[in-house]
Amino acid sequence: MKSAYSFDAVYNLFLLKETKRWFKHGLMDRDQHDRIKEAYKTPFYHPNFVIRIVLFVATALALSGVTGVFFLVLADIGEKALYVAAILYGIGSFYALEKLFIRNNHYKSGVTEAVMYHACGFTIGGFFDMGTIVILVICCVVFTFTAIRYLDLMTTLAALGSLAGLLFYQFYQWGGIFQQIIPFLFIVSFTVIYFFTKYVTRKPSVRLWRNNLLVVESVSLLLVYLAGNYLVVRELSIALMGVVLTPGQDIPFAFLFYGLTVIIPVTYLYFGIKNKDIVLLRISLIVVAASVFTFKYYYNFGHPEITLTIAGAIVLLVSIAVLNYLKIKRNGFTRELLLTEKWGAANLEAFVVSQTMGGNTIKTDSGFKGGGGTFGGGGASGDF
Amino acid sequence: MTKEVPRELFDKGLITEDQFNKIEPIVTGKIVSVFYELRSLLYLGVMLFTGGVGILIYQNIGEMGHVLSIITLGILTVVCFWYVFRHSVRYTNGPVKAPTPYYDYIVLLGSLLFISVQGYLQFQFGWLDQNLGWSTLVTATFFFYIAYRFDHLGILSLAITALASFWSIQLSPQKWYTGEFFTGTHLYITAIIFSTVLTGIALALEKQSWKQHFTFTYLNFCLLIFFGGSITGLFDASAWLLYVLLIYGGSVFAYYQAKQKKSFLFLLYAFLATYIATTYFFAETIFKEAEELWFFYSILSCGGFVYFIVKYRNHFTQHP
Repeated sequence: MKSAYSFDAVYNLFLLKETKRWFKHGLMDRDQHDRIKEAYKTPFYHPNFVIRIVLFVATALALSGVTGVFFLVLADIGEKALYVAAILYGIGSFYALEKLFIRNNHYKSGVTEAVMYHACGFTIGGFFDMGTIVILVICCVVFTFTAIRYLDLMTTLAALGSLAGLLFYQFYQWGGIFQQIIPFLFIVSFTVIYFFTKYVTRKPSVRLWRNNLLVVESVSLLLVYLAGNYLVVRELSIALMGVVLTPGQDIPFAFLFYGLTVIIPVTYLYFGIKNKDIVLLRISLIVVAASVFTFKYYYNFGHPEITLTIAGAIVLLVSIAVLNYLKIKRNGFTRELLLTEKWGAANLEAFVVSQTMGGNTIKTDSGFKGGGGTFGGGGASGDF
Repeated sequence: MTKEVPRELFDKGLITEDQFNKIEPIVTGKIVSVFYELRSLLYLGVMLFTGGVGILIYQNIGEMGHVLSIITLGILTVVCFWYVFRHSVRYTNGPVKAPTPYYDYIVLLGSLLFISVQGYLQFQFGWLDQNLGWSTLVTATFFFYIAYRFDHLGILSLAITALASFWSIQLSPQKWYTGEFFTGTHLYITAIIFSTVLTGIALALEKQSWKQHFTFTYLNFCLLIFFGGSITGLFDASAWLLYVLLIYGGSVFAYYQAKQKKSFLFLLYAFLATYIATTYFFAETIFKEAEELWFFYSILSCGGFVYFIVKYRNHFTQHP
């Protein structure tokens, strides 16, 4: 399938974004940066991230009005016809997205996302009374289409999610032995998807979709881990499959899942370091934490505060040790900042600090509560 | 997508060979920076450790061995600050580069531990227990000192949070979710006055060019508190028109700051607050008569706004 965007324009935009980082990091001077900007022009309207959020919210609100009018007119045509209308409306929205916005060079401008998700929502919503399997299949199809055609990352994630949902639901419905092998099914299929993605990423013909593939790669790694995680398997078995565990009993293949909970993070970490694969490395940090949590969940000693303190001390010491170890470059790893990431802003970090630490450290007289609690509902009144 | 970029630019003569040799290994991943990963880990460590210690102290107050742990914490705090002062750079009004990679986190750890010890001592010896609120003022003062002395934005935001909580304005995340961060009656008036005064102070400090890069953090909090306060007032008070006007005033201010600081976050706040205020205004007046106008209102207002932003796009572009 082809993208709705021309390759050259997207490529130039990426190139400009990348070279802007180099310029900001002092790797090139202003003259050079200007010359590159001159050489690689892009017609796209692709504003700054916050503007995109503003536009997204505003467009979503405006669309809610459009939807309101549309269905107000159609209110009396009967239920079946309404579903058909929803599908047509969704497809019409896709059409509008291409003709009104993409043709006018909107590239991920916030407006496009709002219209796109709106279109997805109605197209899928039109199949709402067809049963779970059909809905999941439609989700898969529509999200994959959107992800590929508009290079969108959120729908990439949604497409993977619906694929996972579909697999799970189908095997769950079949029951019996099929329910038992769901974890293995997930591990096998998403391992295949992971390696396939890694393989495809190298091809020049998919250059446009590298960010999408990155999402697929990371999510596959996470899903493989989750499918083998003891906590996930155990709790899902109890919640969904009616497994009843008396004290002293354990889920089938418990030893295997215990093993996987340990082995998968270690494998990720090992290959992340060995292949200098930053995706694997980041995911491995997350899943190590998840594994620690898993074991603490079933084997706690009744003192979470001591665990917290010790864990904190260990994490601090380990990271300081690694920082010292990487004083010089080793095996291609460095502790120095090479290029500023988009999210590495100090202001953002400051806000995170205040929001995560604030509650812990500052004790005040929270004597009187209640009253004036209407703030949260404020935005809602704007919808209709 | 960008892996081939350095090669292409080099071939076209847009970057020099030196630059190519420097940039190419970074972009292709021959050198991998774990800067952000390690910083996240350090942060996580500080968070877990101080969180654990905080609970530990409050749970075991008055028990044996407790004094010992307080002494340990005290020593740890002293060690942190000893390290911080030993490596410290002289105070300047501009941004300061941290002398060692984990310097900022030692500052953070030391400050948070200090607060734990302070809180304990107060509790144990009954200092200030008549008026616990004053201790947050002490905390805030301490945080402000540390933030300015060691140029630490994180501590600055904690200082602002503490100062706000001295006025009983809660800024912790739980309060955001539940929408209860103005506990008590008419606290929103306090919030509005507090944020206005603090904005004035922040702008005055900026004019004196004392730590100009702190202004963003000040304004961010002030705008959030201001809009939060006036929106609560809008729904709560009978004189809602006053709050509509206040929100408009704040939005104009936020708009100018957004343009000046090239920070469009403020624009987002201004948009949301203005939209809520305007919608409330209409809901109280004309929509009471004709409810179907809602749809057209949302299409016209938001559609118009989107059109405006896209049309005057150059006005809203960040020029590096």
